[in-house]
Amino acid sequence: MTLTRRYRMTLSGMALVLTLPAMAADPWDERTPALGDRTTMPTGRLSRSDLDALTAQGEALFSAKFTSLDGVGRPGATQAIIPTRRKHPREQTFFRTAGLDAGACSSCHNEPVVGGAGDFVTNVFVSEGFESADFDSLDPQFSNERGTNHLFGAGLIELLAREMSGELQAIRGKALEDARSSGQTVRLPLSAKGVDFGFITADADGSVNLDELAGIDTDLVIRPFSQKGVMTSLRQFTVNALNQHSGMQPSERYGARWTGTDDFDSDGVSREVSDADVSALVAWQATRPSPARVVPDKSGWAEAARRGEQVFGDLGCTDCHRTSLPLEKADFSDPGPYDAAGTLNDTQVAEPAIYDLTLNDWAQHLDRDEQGRLLVPLFGDLKRHEMTDRDITGFGNELLSQRFVDRNSFMTAELWGIGSTPPYGHRNDFTTLHEVILAHGGESRKTRDAYDAAADQDKSALVAFLKTLVIVP
Amino acid sequence: MKIFRNLTLAALAASCAGALLSFPAQGAETDVPFTADIPSYHEEAKSAGIDHSYTGPWEYFVGGGVASFDCNGDRAPDLFLAGGSSKAALFVNASRTGGALSFRPKDTGLSDDDLTKVLGAYPLDIDNDRHTDLVLLKLGRNVVLKGGPDCRFEKANRAFSFDGGRAWSTAFAATWEGSNAFPTLAIGNYVDRSAPGSPFGTCDVNQLLRPVTGEAPDYSEVLPLEPSYCTLSMLFTDWDRSGKPSLRITNDRQYYRGGEEQLWDLPEGQLPRQYTASEGWQRLTIWGMGIAEADLNADGLPEYALTSMGDTKIQKLDDEAGEDRPTYRDTAYELGATAQRPYTGGDIKPSTGWHSQFADINNDTKLDLFIAKGNVQAMPDFAQNDPDNLLLGDMAGRFQEKGMEAGIALDTKGRGAAVDDFNMDGMPDLIVVNREAPASLFRNMGAKTDWGYRPLGNWLKVELDNGKVNHAAVGALVSVRVGTQTLTRRIQVGGGHASGQTGFTHLGLGVAERATIRVQWPDGEWSHPYRVFANQHVRIVRGEDNARYWYPAGP
Repeated sequence: MTLTRRYRMTLSGMALVLTLPAMAADPWDERTPALGDRTTMPTGRLSRSDLDALTAQGEALFSAKFTSLDGVGRPGATQAIIPTRRKHPREQTFFRTAGLDAGACSSCHNEPVVGGAGDFVTNVFVSEGFESADFDSLDPQFSNERGTNHLFGAGLIELLAREMSGELQAIRGKALEDARSSGQTVRLPLSAKGVDFGFITADADGSVNLDELAGIDTDLVIRPFSQKGVMTSLRQFTVNALNQHSGMQPSERYGARWTGTDDFDSDGVSREVSDADVSALVAWQATRPSPARVVPDKSGWAEAARRGEQVFGDLGCTDCHRTSLPLEKADFSDPGPYDAAGTLNDTQVAEPAIYDLTLNDWAQHLDRDEQGRLLVPLFGDLKRHEMTDRDITGFGNELLSQRFVDRNSFMTAELWGIGSTPPYGHRNDFTTLHEVILAHGGESRKTRDAYDAAADQDKSALVAFLKTLVIVP
Repeated sequence: MKIFRNLTLAALAASCAGALLSFPAQGAETDVPFTADIPSYHEEAKSAGIDHSYTGPWEYFVGGGVASFDCNGDRAPDLFLAGGSSKAALFVNASRTGGALSFRPKDTGLSDDDLTKVLGAYPLDIDNDRHTDLVLLKLGRNVVLKGGPDCRFEKANRAFSFDGGRAWSTAFAATWEGSNAFPTLAIGNYVDRSAPGSPFGTCDVNQLLRPVTGEAPDYSEVLPLEPSYCTLSMLFTDWDRSGKPSLRITNDRQYYRGGEEQLWDLPEGQLPRQYTASEGWQRLTIWGMGIAEADLNADGLPEYALTSMGDTKIQKLDDEAGEDRPTYRDTAYELGATAQRPYTGGDIKPSTGWHSQFADINNDTKLDLFIAKGNVQAMPDFAQNDPDNLLLGDMAGRFQEKGMEAGIALDTKGRGAAVDDFNMDGMPDLIVVNREAPASLFRNMGAKTDWGYRPLGNWLKVELDNGKVNHAAVGALVSVRVGTQTLTRRIQVGGGHASGQTGFTHLGLGVAERATIRVQWPDGEWSHPYRVFANQHVRIVRGEDNARYWYPAGP
């Protein structure tokens, strides 16, 4: 525990500290040592050793059971992602539905290892959190229930999303340029890395019509994280989650710049999570290894998996669950380019940290295409799709849209690691792969029906294939 | 200057003495530290190509306006600056997005007669042809300029049957009443110099010009707004959420006798009628220079910032009076916004306030208040070094003066002004017309750090398209929801000091990355919600399902 950390306490926090049996210098001190361990944000290109040190702190923070001395609790603030004061105090610090609902990030992200997914018991409840901050019901009119996603390969996912956002915005720029120069309306297909996102139409006056966008937000930023695809970056997700689940408020959004106080949640602890702490958490998440294919050494599995992969393509699953997407550059910059104010972005700092994800051993095993691009085997397309229709409603159990996304629209689940992360579905309520495949409606109805009509052997082979997509501890 | 020497200093002293002796420069003390971003303004008028002064003898002690509007269809604000005895001038915006400010002077093709003796300028599209027109307030016959493509203008007094009068015009406002195809115009006049006993007690008559029904604008019928009290700013406003505009007028007590601030009821198809004490209107006499309107608490009942010599007023409808009674109380002191004397420079004499404008200058969702300041000319009892105010809204709902830190505390005599985003980067810039000195043009650089400048909070700029009539939706309300906050802006033409603007309406969003917009169109109809992302120029076309985004040309 550093002096800096000790002085973070406000006076009321100090009073609390003085009554505690363990002092800051004691090895049994009940504060998280890794919190505030780094006083400045990392900048510039990081060496392998720099990155290792950063991720080591990040791992410690990810696994830390934060305490009230660290700043757990938000008696004066809600779980909302926009700093929002609570109208009424409440008795409980922890509260299974509206939060706080976790002692540590790893309390939920732990299957098969830390950073992984979670069982149904780790489901969380998301709402916009402004008007019904203290909902104590599982009724879907108050919140949407979400299973815990794994974070393996998350750095590659964010980089893919950034490159795709750049491609799509470049198309928008070209449409505008063409429209302005020709004086005519210009309509162009929006496509990035082979994934189609509808059309954009630009008028000569510089306006763009957004009516024909498909599966992406209107600012053409791909938000790859969360089941709905509404989080831009690991950094944004980290800031949100720390507040919602642990009442640990990162200064970059909940600090004095935006709220007028260093203790917005009124728990007596100021500046609970520094920008550098968030950077460490991001680095650890971004460098989680990409899931791999591992065929169990069991008779017939290899052959079934080969057949299953064939079936996976033949049925049309790869239309959305793309086997891989190519990544031009593996340099991960943090803060990144697409976050809006409230999450640090690269214009808000002197210089972001940059780390090459291929410095990690696991990245050496990734395939490259003929252009030398990394092929990220995500089995996804980073696009949202409608997943229900009149007959198939398995994913249609929600009443609230989330962050402007319709109730029945979800980001294509990346299937890498799915063999390690049952149960399935955005609510973690499908126990078998067979069941979750049959729950695909809406845009995926045709493929689902093809699966349903397939021979039992092919269905079985498909399951065998999917179960080879695992997280390797 | 002679005319000002008879200033009723006793009254001023009575109103200000306490403040000068014991009160801070802006109002009640606050112990709330200001922790939000302070924008850093860089003055770059000369390098931007604007070298323009507002000049002239005592008739031009008032006025000095600027119109900020797009005249060439690129949606970037161009500028028309009044010149007083010098020629007014048009500057076309050539700034790169987010870059240094740059303007090119543009010949309007108008005569010297039309371009001189201009005190103020207000832009609006009178004839619904989607080209912004300009109303020039003059010493003498006012001029209406019909806008055309590529910043071309032609004088339209005859075409619009707009006489223009011969008065000393100093205020303007416009709105669309009822289902009229063309706007109602209000023109405020100052001293009638030809009247016996002028200038004291000889205020000229203000005018209300309702359009005569027809295919083209016809302002041949003029209604006098009597009594008039030497008006320096006026604004159509829906003060009581009735959906009907009333006309708020601020007047200069320097010259009137028995006058006061005014609020006119404008029953449709009937003669205007001044609200009276029996209806709750309370007599207030100030050296009224400018009006700014904002709904600080988004309750639908707007507040008004009134500039004056000495204390600025921020009037709020008195809760105890009832919403249907126009009884206002001054909240400037409790809000820390009296700005009654200079905050820097050492001059403790009272300030002189002119243009006022609310805007979220640092994009933190809190409304800020800009006030142009400057001695009338050489009034010895008022501050000579009187820098413009930048009162930033704090988290406690008050204002804190940050003009010094922001870099706008110049020793100039500010008059008209416009807070507008000239380089289209979402951070409001600022132009101030100065008397007898070059206009100041400030680029908002963002917040200064030890490594450079960082952008401010998120923002949104909204342009409404109401259709064929009143396409810019004057009178509409833009209501933006972010989290638990509702932010509102009313689309208006008028107010300020001799200065107006059209184009995108700016809102700061703080840390919100998305927002929901609803529009109450001028006829009162509410739109469905439009979901938009932050940091976008948004176009909302009435009747369309989705908002559109707009992007500036070039890199």
